[in-house]
Amino acid sequence: MKSELLAVVIICAAANPLPAQTAWKTPKTPWGDPDLQGVWPSSSMLMTPLERDPKLGARNVLTDQEYRVKAMMSKVIKNGLEGATPSPRVNIGAGWADYGVPDRQASLVIDPPDGRIPPLTPEAQQREALRLSHYKVKHNAPDTWEDLTMWERCISLGVVGSVLPLVYNHGNQIVQSPGYVVFRNEMVHEARIIPVNGAKHIAPAIRQYMGDSIGHWEGSTLVVETTNFNGKAVIGMGGGFEGAGTLPTESLQITERFNRTDERTIAYRATIEDPNTWTKPWTIEFPLRKDDSYNTLYEYACHEGNIFMYDVLSGARAQEKPDEGAAAK
Amino acid sequence: MPGRLQKCIFVLLSAGIIAAANRTDVSKLPRTAGGKPDLNGIWQTITTANWDIQDHGAQAGPFFQLGAIGAVPPGQGIVEGNEIPYLPQAALKKKENLANRWKADPELKCYMPGVPRATYLPYPFQIIQSQKDILIVYEYATTNRPINMAKPQEAVVDSWMGTSNGRWEGDTLVVDVTGFNDQTWFDRAGNFHSDALQVTERYTPIDANTINYQATITDPKVFSRPWRISLPLYRVRDTNARLLEFKCVEFSEEFLYGNLRKGPANSEK
Repeated sequence: MKSELLAVVIICAAANPLPAQTAWKTPKTPWGDPDLQGVWPSSSMLMTPLERDPKLGARNVLTDQEYRVKAMMSKVIKNGLEGATPSPRVNIGAGWADYGVPDRQASLVIDPPDGRIPPLTPEAQQREALRLSHYKVKHNAPDTWEDLTMWERCISLGVVGSVLPLVYNHGNQIVQSPGYVVFRNEMVHEARIIPVNGAKHIAPAIRQYMGDSIGHWEGSTLVVETTNFNGKAVIGMGGGFEGAGTLPTESLQITERFNRTDERTIAYRATIEDPNTWTKPWTIEFPLRKDDSYNTLYEYACHEGNIFMYDVLSGARAQEKPDEGAAAK
Repeated sequence: MPGRLQKCIFVLLSAGIIAAANRTDVSKLPRTAGGKPDLNGIWQTITTANWDIQDHGAQAGPFFQLGAIGAVPPGQGIVEGNEIPYLPQAALKKKENLANRWKADPELKCYMPGVPRATYLPYPFQIIQSQKDILIVYEYATTNRPINMAKPQEAVVDSWMGTSNGRWEGDTLVVDVTGFNDQTWFDRAGNFHSDALQVTERYTPIDANTINYQATITDPKVFSRPWRISLPLYRVRDTNARLLEFKCVEFSEEFLYGNLRKGPANSEK
């Protein structure tokens, strides 16, 4: 009981970094910047959805009862994954996927206060409806690779997709040098170099999947503003997998805050705004927690091993041949 | 006839002059708070080695439509002594690779380039030297590789960029890279290796803006003895220098999957 209460206190503290964290003092690098270095997987938040269950309203902390249900679900998923039998085609069985730890936080979206992503602008609604109807028709029988998502093509999950919890290879690492912070994301091997030396954004003519990031320190918090997006990376879980998420435009801006609240936690926050897509800005926040069993990022050679692409495209071509379908019967 | 002492002084002076010409005034090297040379910055090579690490003259390119843009520029190689000591079978394989280079070079496919090719690809890279480990981020394909400066770690799995363990020998950063797969090439001329490849890199700064780079290549399945490349790395000094995004997967997809698109491949249109 006592330990449960303690866990609740810790988790609530992690879910809300705004109250003064007086005991903890962020260490400094030899050159005087706050030291955020280490491996910070997002796996612990896998059980927490991006958007909140509407029934919870403005409450982002689960009750004991709700928490127990979440913990039970977590256990079921964990047992399922650990008991999985290897598939003969792809030799992965148990152990490849993570399942997170149950957390009191009800949703990753913390603003708007109801934890729901704001409505799209009328223009964006039309645009996205068109994109998703194309996705539904083409995704399972793609004419080309362009009918598949940027994740499936191993191009990029974008800034937000790269840090949101994923079931595997969702390690993040921070490495610093004088004037720079690098945020590495294991999946699709991103290494976003963030100058904190007063550099200005690159010219507007240069557009990038991961945008152009410039950072500065506010106390011991790293604040990163990212612009120059190419509008080709979906914002949502899994880079648009299963039709999730929304494709923003080039006017997207993301403001992130990395606040190390104790030795083992960074409170990560990202405010997403694109007046051409959402009717107002919205913010996600969740802890990136150190995990002693997850202290290395492996080389995620995604494109290099993308046999999925050959399988899906050749499958789609085979289905177009009526003879083969008949012969199979 | 000069006396012994004069001879001695002459030798010492000459040695000093040579040292000054070839080496560094180490007192002027930028240094970290820990006293090690500070290698932080954006670097790039000036070389045609990515076309061929050995001496090569200018040649026509494979696509006449590209005219002079597509031609192979001439260059003096970066291999010390210019000879690559292939074993007989491997020498045949190299020839075959060269013949197939417009189809088989992993660079065409936007695959991670391996080491040392990542260094002399015609793209900049940035060294992020923290107080502990070092990270190198290459512009090409957003490839990046951590260099572990703590207790050496064995490669747990083969990979494209290998497993890097670094240490300082005086002012030289020495990096042992092991655990490679056999998928990368050294250049567009088909020079290659097996999964037994081991690379030892030496980064020796000679002034604030130049690093002498050497890499010793050992691969007993392919070469009869170790061999070495060397070339300088130059600091990119443009005031607005930044590593940009070269996510080349999109540029390789028609090449890789064009025969699987609906309708004729673009190449057949």
